[in-house]
Amino acid sequence: MPIAHIMASGMTGLRAGGDLVARMELSKSMRIKDAKEYVAKKVGVDVFDLADEYAMRDVREELGIGVITSVPGAPKGIAAKMNIEKVLGTKINCCETFRNQLKQ
Amino acid sequence: MDKQALLKELSDAMVSCKADVIMAATKKAVDAGMSSVEIIDGLAAGMTEVGDQFERGKLFLPHVMMAANGMQKAVDTLEMGDAGATVKKVIINGTVEGDVHDIGKSIVSTMLQSAGFEVHDLGRDVPIAKFIEAVKEYNADMVGLSALMTTTLNGQKDVIELLKANGLRDNVKVMVGGAPATTTWAEKIGADCYAENATEAVDRAKELLL
Amino acid sequence: MATEYVLRMGDGKRVFMTKDKIKEEAIAGAGNAVDYGLVPDLSADEIDKIVEICAMPGKSVAVEFGMEVPVTHDIGTIRLDGDQGNSGVGIPSSRLVGMMMHERAFGADTMELGHIDYSYKPVKPIVSNECQMMEVAQQNMIVPLFYGAMPNMGLYYTPDGPFENPGDLLKAFKLEEAFASMEHSAEHLTRDIVWIMQKLMASGADGVNLDTTAAAGDADAFGTLNAVKALRAEFPEMYIEVGMAGESIIGMHGMLEFEGSILAGLWPHQQVKLAEKAGASIFGPVVNTNTSRSFSWNLARAITFIKECSKVAKIPLHVDMGMGVGGIPMLETPPIDAVTRASKAMVEMTNVDGL
Repeated sequence: MPIAHIMASGMTGLRAGGDLVARMELSKSMRIKDAKEYVAKKVGVDVFDLADEYAMRDVREELGIGVITSVPGAPKGIAAKMNIEKVLGTKINCCETFRNQLKQ
Repeated sequence: MDKQALLKELSDAMVSCKADVIMAATKKAVDAGMSSVEIIDGLAAGMTEVGDQFERGKLFLPHVMMAANGMQKAVDTLEMGDAGATVKKVIINGTVEGDVHDIGKSIVSTMLQSAGFEVHDLGRDVPIAKFIEAVKEYNADMVGLSALMTTTLNGQKDVIELLKANGLRDNVKVMVGGAPATTTWAEKIGADCYAENATEAVDRAKELLL
Repeated sequence: MATEYVLRMGDGKRVFMTKDKIKEEAIAGAGNAVDYGLVPDLSADEIDKIVEICAMPGKSVAVEFGMEVPVTHDIGTIRLDGDQGNSGVGIPSSRLVGMMMHERAFGADTMELGHIDYSYKPVKPIVSNECQMMEVAQQNMIVPLFYGAMPNMGLYYTPDGPFENPGDLLKAFKLEEAFASMEHSAEHLTRDIVWIMQKLMASGADGVNLDTTAAAGDADAFGTLNAVKALRAEFPEMYIEVGMAGESIIGMHGMLEFEGSILAGLWPHQQVKLAEKAGASIFGPVVNTNTSRSFSWNLARAITFIKECSKVAKIPLHVDMGMGVGGIPMLETPPIDAVTRASKAMVEMTNVDGL
C-alpha cells in the first residue's frame, strides 16, 4: 500500500528530489511550499522539477547526492549525505557522528 | 415541578457525574411522587447522554464511572417492589488468546457495566476454553470478543465454534469488535453483531439483550 | 438510469453508487466531522471535488503535476520479512535489505528502523543491537532515517509491567489508584523513550518516530509529549515525528494537562498545537475509518478534520494514510482504487505536507 501512495502522491525519493524536500521539512519544520522552494533554489531547479525524474537525475549526479541506480564510483550512503549537507546547508546527525570518529 | 422537568433534572444530574447531585435529584423526584421505574428511566437517559459525550471527547472514562456509581447509589435508595426483582443481563468480555491488547476492550467493559449490565471482564490473551467456562459459570447472556490484530482475529471464530461444540451457542449472543473486525467478518463467522466502538457496543447489547 | 461508479465500503467491500449518492455520503461524512470535532464544514466545491475524485474512471489516480509530497514510511524495515501482524509479506531478508529496498526500489522519501515488537519498552534490553543496526544503515542509506516504535504505554500495566491495570482499577471504582498507575506509567514511558533515543542519536539516527501516540489514552500522550520536550531540549536538531493512534485522545485519566491544555478529548487540530509546543518537527494526524460507512463518507470526514488541522499547523503534517485511517478501508490489502483516491484527495484538498 505505501507504494500506491508513493505512486499516487509521492516525490519518489532518490528517483527525483523527495528525500531532499523531506529533509527540510524534518530538519527545519518547513511546510511543503517553503521546503520545495528552499530545495529548488539550493539545487538550481524549478520547484516543478523536484518530482521530475528527468530533471533530477542529472542534478543528483552532478551534485554527488546519490542516485537511485547503483553507479560505480558515485557517492553513496554517508558520502552522498555529506554532499547533501553542503548543498542544503543543513547538518545531518550521522555525518557529524562519522566525522567525530575520524582521527586527525 | 412537572414530570418532564424532573426527568430532565435527573438526566442533567447524571451528566454532572457527581454522586451527591444524582442522589439529590433522585430524592427530589421521590418526594414529588415519581415512581421508581420512571426515576430509573430518567437516570438511564442521563447515562446514555454520558456515553454520547464520552464518544465526543467531552467526558472521560472516570466521569463515566462516577456517573455509573452515582446512579447505582441512587437506585439502591429506591423502593423497587416487583420491579426490583429484575435480574441484570450478564456479559462475558475479553480479548482472545494471543492478543495482549487490553485498553479498548476495558473501555467497552466499563461502558457496558455503566449501562447496567453485569460484566465479567476476563482480561486479555484469554484462552478460548476460558470463555466457555465463564459462560457456564455466570450463566451469561452475551460474550464480547475483542481482537486488535489480523493475526488473532480468528480467535473470535474459534470461540464461536467452541460455544457450538459445547451446545451453548443458542443460549448466548456473541458480539465482536477490535480494529480488524467488521460487520462482514461478524456475519462470516456467525457472530450476532459487530460494534465499532464502546458506545456502539452498549447500543448493540441493549438491542440484543433488553 | 443514472450511471453508477465503483466505490468501497469502509471494510473494503465493493459497492456501486450514483454521483448523487456519493455526494450525499460525502456531505454526511463531512457533517459528522463538524459535529464531533467542531471544525468548519467543507464547501460545496470541496464536496464536488470529492465526488469528482471518487467517480474518476481509472482504477488508480494520482495528484496533479507539481502537487507531489514526501511520503514518510513507518515500519518499512520489517515490511518485507515481517509477518501478518506487521502487514509484512514474509520474504526472508534483513532489516537493512528492507530499508534499502524501500529507498532504492520503491522510491520512499524517508525510512525508519524499527524492531519486530515495535514498542519502545522492549527496545531497552536490545538497544545495542538497534544502535549497531542504525550505524550500518546510516553508512549505506541516503534518505532521512528515523528510529521508530510505538510508545504503547499499556506495556507498563500488569501483567506486562509493574503498575496495576487502570482499566481494572476504574471498573472497581478505585479512581485515585487508577490515576496514580497511569501517572507512574507515563513517567516510565518518558524515561524509556528518552534513554533509548539518547543511545540511537549517538549512533547516528536522524531522529525519532513516535508512532501511534496516545494508544493507551491521555496518559500515553502525556508521557510521549514529555519525552518529545526532553529530547528537543537535549537534541535541538533532531527530527521528531509525533504520529497519533486515533482521531481523538481517549480520556482514561481525564485530568492530565500538557502545557496548560487538558489532553483528553483533543481532536487533530488541537493535538497538533501541543505537538508543536513539545518541540515536534512534524505531526501525523489520524482520522479513523468507520467500516460500516462508505468510502466517500469516510474520505469527506477525514478531509474535513485534516483540513482544519493543516490550517492551524505551523509544523509540517504527514497524514496517517494506512489501513483503516484517512478514509482508507480497514482491510489487510486495501484496494488500490481507494488508496490512490484517498491519497489524491488528501494531498490536493488539505495542503498537507506529506503522507
